Amino acid sequence: MNQSFAIIVCFAAASYGAANSGTAAAVEGGAASFVVNTTVPGISVKGKSTALEARAVVERVPDGLRLEKVEASIPVKSLDTGMAMRDEHMRRYIFTTADGKTPDLRFEAAEAACAAHSGRGSEFSCQVSGSLAIRGVSRPFSIPLKIRAQGGTYRATGGSTVKLSDYGIEQPSQFGVRTADEVQVHIEFSGKEGVAKIASGGRR
Amino acid sequence: MMRLRVPLVMLTSVFAGQLKALPTMIRLGYVNCAACHVAPQGGGLLNAYGRSIDEAQSLRGGEYAPTTSDIIRALSWNGRITQDLRFVGQEQLSSTTNSPWVGLFRGRFLYRNATEFGSGVRFSATVVGENESAARPSLAYEPAVRPTQVYVTSALLSWRVHNNLEFSAGRDALPNGVNLPDLAIYVRSRNRLGYYDAPTQVKMFWWGKRYHVSPYFFAPGGNERSGFHETGGGGLAEFDVLGHGRTVVGVNALHGTSRLLDRTMVGPYARLGFGKWGIFAEHDITARTLLQTATSFGQDASYGQVFWAVKEWLVPAVAGERLTVERPYRESLLAVGAQVTARLTPQFTVSMGARIQHNQLTGRTSPAFTLQLAMKTPN
Repeated sequence: MNQSFAIIVCFAAASYGAANSGTAAAVEGGAASFVVNTTVPGISVKGKSTALEARAVVERVPDGLRLEKVEASIPVKSLDTGMAMRDEHMRRYIFTTADGKTPDLRFEAAEAACAAHSGRGSEFSCQVSGSLAIRGVSRPFSIPLKIRAQGGTYRATGGSTVKLSDYGIEQPSQFGVRTADEVQVHIEFSGKEGVAKIASGGRR
Repeated sequence: MMRLRVPLVMLTSVFAGQLKALPTMIRLGYVNCAACHVAPQGGGLLNAYGRSIDEAQSLRGGEYAPTTSDIIRALSWNGRITQDLRFVGQEQLSSTTNSPWVGLFRGRFLYRNATEFGSGVRFSATVVGENESAARPSLAYEPAVRPTQVYVTSALLSWRVHNNLEFSAGRDALPNGVNLPDLAIYVRSRNRLGYYDAPTQVKMFWWGKRYHVSPYFFAPGGNERSGFHETGGGGLAEFDVLGHGRTVVGVNALHGTSRLLDRTMVGPYARLGFGKWGIFAEHDITARTLLQTATSFGQDASYGQVFWAVKEWLVPAVAGERLTVERPYRESLLAVGAQVTARLTPQFTVSMGARIQHNQLTGRTSPAFTLQLAMKTPN
């Protein structure tokens, strides 16, 4: 049987910035990566995209930051595992819909409150909860973010887990090597105050 | 002082080994060899998953599809036998200071077989025939084993107890650090890891997501020179430091004793991967004692390589080496080399390399150029 192998990807992102009152902010440099274990000890599949796009409305509030209208996306074709055939399998078996389309991964969240760390006014933490769409299918998704402000630039990191089965996606396998159902995702990005337009996170 | 007897061909050999193990896969997060190779030590035959990776990483690319031929299936005992024929042809041009260039063609045929008997029991063997031997340097204190034109480099009975635990007994190369296929590098050729060094041994492989442990015991393989039938034991342990599958550090240590020589070796090493490129490093410290004269002396062998996967099928690399042997067998060698390997299809791989060795004691410089073609039958 010519089974396919692939990887999974998923990610989520939330853009961040800070302004005095509800300024739109966009990601200026962002990357999403993922790791999924397999049934074979010592093999895990890792991938990355530097084409993260995101934006949000950011408002500074007395106890931290308030994010609204968080939107993020990653083009499926930008995801790279370092092996072309594996990328092809990933796109085919994870991200391609029944009608042959490969819609971008999309994350949306209505709002999130980021609390300032006590004694560190430039650092914030929040749980951004919304929906993540894979293959055009949306499911609830939540990711904790840590945000650090440095001058007018903000850096954020976060990690979470996506379950393929939540999206009805079968775990890919290749000659006895089967990926796990759970995919660990990690995002890193930076944003800048007052950037009102959508910015690309990197080359696509 | 006894004179060293080092054949020119070994001083300048670049790729004395067959192309086999691919530790460069660390760049993609493959922390050990068991995922792709039948034997967890790496090298040799690939399993079905490894063959699919082999196909995907060649210039031709594409999907690997196991044969559906009834004849092949019958020959493979319905998939229980994995086997192939392999040919490695190497043209080498080498010289040394004030000496003419010497050309040498070395052809080597290999038959490789791994037969599964069920319940995790496997017998594997590699039989080699060649036109020109490539023994490691024959040193006054440690002569090379006797090469023969037909040779069994590996014959192992293995038991895969669990998907991450295997025991093996038979003859084979001992587990070693970075596990590069080039047998001419100092960390191998000066530590009894040459092509014909296949001691009788019992070993265990236990590996997980972040670790690999291999204790081993060995005894003479039968082709050692008189007085150098070595018996001993050792262990290899490695760990993925950052847990991302790309930062493996480890140590290989062994002690062996024979009628004329005691040998203790400790070799820390690292395999680091960074996506398209990576680094190998190994430093082996060996202490030897000649028992008849109670002469003790040390040896340091260092190796470093940086490789870069320009394409998945095209991997150039540069390497540097250093060897220091203490009195009374004092040596001080430096070498730099570059090579490029092109995997055209899973069946055809071409390599070109250059290496320059400089003897700091004699001032002699020995350049060598090598072109190698490796072919194997599909399976």
